[in-house]
Amino acid sequence: MEYAVETYSLTKIFSDLWGRDKVYGVDDLNLKIRHNEVFGLLGPNGSGKTTTLKMLLGLLYPTKGRSVIFGGDGSDPKINARIGFLPEESYFYKYLNARETLDFYGRLFAMPSKVREIRIEALLDMVGLKAVAGRPVGTFSKGMARRIGLAQALINDPDLLILDEPTTGLDPIGTKQIKDLILEMAGRGKTILLCSHLLADVEDVCDRIAILYGGRVQAEGEVKKLLQQTNKTEITTGSISSSAVEKIKRIVKDEHADCNVSFPMDKLETFFIRTVADAQKQGRPTSGAVSITQIGEFLTAKSAGKSILDKLVSEPVSGKTDQQPSVTEQPSAVETSVNKTNEQLLSELTKPVEPVQPTPVVKKELAESIEKKLEQKKRDILEQLTDGSGASQNKDKKKAGHHRGDSSDA
Amino acid sequence: MHSIWAVAKNTIKQALRMKVAVIFIVLLAVLLPFMGISMTGDGTLKGKLQSFVSYGLSLTNLLLCLLTIVISVYTLTSDIKQRQIYTVLTKPIRRFQLLLGKLLGVVLLDVAMLIVFSAVIYTITVYTPKFFNTSEAELTQLNNEFYTARASLVPNEIDITKETDESYERLEKTGQLPPGVTDSQASRRGYKRALANRIELSKRAATVGQDLLWEFNNVKPLSSDQSLFIRFKYDVSVNPPDLQVFGRWNIGDYRQIKYGTQIDRPIYRFDRKDLIRTFYEIEVPADAVAEDGYLAVSFLNVPLNNTVVIFPLKDGLEVLYKADSYTANFLRVVCLILFRLIFLACLGILASSFLSFPVAILFCLVIFFASSFSSFCLESFAYLGEGASGVYSYTMKPIIQLFPQFDKLNPSKFLVPANLLSWSLLARVAASLVGIRAVLLWLLGLLIFSYREIARIII
Repeated sequence: MEYAVETYSLTKIFSDLWGRDKVYGVDDLNLKIRHNEVFGLLGPNGSGKTTTLKMLLGLLYPTKGRSVIFGGDGSDPKINARIGFLPEESYFYKYLNARETLDFYGRLFAMPSKVREIRIEALLDMVGLKAVAGRPVGTFSKGMARRIGLAQALINDPDLLILDEPTTGLDPIGTKQIKDLILEMAGRGKTILLCSHLLADVEDVCDRIAILYGGRVQAEGEVKKLLQQTNKTEITTGSISSSAVEKIKRIVKDEHADCNVSFPMDKLETFFIRTVADAQKQGRPTSGAVSITQIGEFLTAKSAGKSILDKLVSEPVSGKTDQQPSVTEQPSAVETSVNKTNEQLLSELTKPVEPVQPTPVVKKELAESIEKKLEQKKRDILEQLTDGSGASQNKDKKKAGHHRGDSSDA
Repeated sequence: MHSIWAVAKNTIKQALRMKVAVIFIVLLAVLLPFMGISMTGDGTLKGKLQSFVSYGLSLTNLLLCLLTIVISVYTLTSDIKQRQIYTVLTKPIRRFQLLLGKLLGVVLLDVAMLIVFSAVIYTITVYTPKFFNTSEAELTQLNNEFYTARASLVPNEIDITKETDESYERLEKTGQLPPGVTDSQASRRGYKRALANRIELSKRAATVGQDLLWEFNNVKPLSSDQSLFIRFKYDVSVNPPDLQVFGRWNIGDYRQIKYGTQIDRPIYRFDRKDLIRTFYEIEVPADAVAEDGYLAVSFLNVPLNNTVVIFPLKDGLEVLYKADSYTANFLRVVCLILFRLIFLACLGILASSFLSFPVAILFCLVIFFASSFSSFCLESFAYLGEGASGVYSYTMKPIIQLFPQFDKLNPSKFLVPANLLSWSLLARVAASLVGIRAVLLWLLGLLIFSYREIARIII
């Protein structure tokens, strides 16, 4: 089984009422997505991206051809158990609150209740909806609904993550978080099929892409090979004197090449994240999502030897409450983010999370005492983690490795 | 199993939080106690109780039926329309599990509501006498005619085809047939039918001075010191001036006289004067029944009357006797309603497997009302279909007969006259309504749902 997802001349024709062929939704599609690959399916509106995904998942039946996921059928529950799917729009039961929504989806996987609880809390933390977890999903904004959609797609720690327009409706922090998550999952050997027309997002994360138009693949290949300009070189330096610039210009001239010197601007994304971070630092209350770019621990944990499920079950035994794992994540997130500038900004975001939560405003004294205790606990756990566990160090390295490529433009 | 249960729980939450069920619950919670206080019936305590049970159960039954249709249709169609089903079906759940979960949720909700509301009705009926100054006589009457479950026996239908044929042949031989009858097959058939009607009527009509005899086998009262009840209604050919009919009733084991043996079981005689077209009950000690369960009832149209007395075809005469307690009977009636609700839930799921919400609701309501007036439908279609009997009996008839017949098993039909709903009848209803019809509907729904492209928008 070389490929995670394969399609063999997959074709979908939408016919009209009298059975006459009307629209070719997808036409003779042959996709091969390898294991542990981030694959991007691009194309303008109506080019057949979503139709392809629906056929993969058995929500639509192909007119011709066949699709195979992990060597099986996309509608087989055994295969479904390894897939996480985020549909193009967030369709949820409006009357359930965020926690109940995740609980419902967790139950469909027949997860033991302990595991379910831990994962739900971790995911709520990760998508920043913990403070509004008791609110009906129907009252959520589009971006918040998107976040809960992402959480439900991750609840089974899927081997294949199928994301249909994952970043639409999300704020830049959420977008960044999804990109980080994709890289993180890919680092853990997962396969990701991404469907989008937001090219910047795709460019940042995808290994390979296919561009669809009119239901047919127009171009396919590795992003780097497709985009690399072999006739240009870009040099980025720190702050240097104008005489040094002149020197460089002279050297370039000697090579008979054109030279263009400019002072890079901050990316709007970076600026935005910094501004929101400042606001959060001042402790301004929000009824929306609280963005923090930490990733649920069960998604970042290495599955070496032991299955993740086992790990999750065994972990809370050491801690006293079920909330424990979400507390333990905090230090690890802080730890990893020290390395990179972008991460630094984001780690600032993680700190003021506590005061934003509604309870401290009401009972300040009580909250302070709890916070002290929490702080103490965090420190204890941090020490434990830094002392012996090679796994956590490994994890950090991995994470740092991903962000090197990612944040080079910052 | 996990996933079925998860879907069921979600369905219940949906029904409760989308306030679909809440409206029905509030309606019933307000109306039932109000009815308990305001119902008066015919002024007697028995009448009050009868009308309360009748209206209370009918209302509960109707509202729960409508609720079941609405919820079972809404839960699946809204999932498909609002596309939550995309995220559900891509999880490890098979389509049959989803449909089973939906059904389980609706049925569980029905069971819970049925328990609550039937408990309210039961409590009100049982405790009402304690709030009124009930006399001893009234209490006895209540215990005999309301707080009980009486088995009912109706006269066997007599096969009169042979008699009709013989009578026709005799008339033909003696040349007494009216002119034109033998002209064609159709006119001959028409005359025979008229003849059969006349003979059938003569079996339940008594001219002045004539008596009618009904024989019953298998009469099994709980004990011989209890009472039997002969329930009857008179009809007449000519209205008497005071609208009353004199009658002499003999009730007991007639064979004792027939064969000239000594009488060791009493035969009871009643001379009464009763209003026409009104139900009456004659109370007879149960020792009138022979040991082998035989009972004969005779009516003599005494010469004081100046009219032919006719006993209506369906409810002219029946023998009632105590066979079970009120509580047990009440429980079985509630089960009867539950079976009906299960059937409707399956119907709703079938409808929503291929129709959109408004159309599916309409579809279910049509079937629900057609089933509620099934005998009317059957009769009128049979009448209309006479002209095209072949076409009718092979197309419409089997379809209509597939419909359950809710009106034949109306809950108040059992509790108001304290008629026994036997376990065997209940089991038969369960088998035909749930075991066959509901299961078939659900399977058909599953078949359609399994082959359906979920993401395909049907306009």
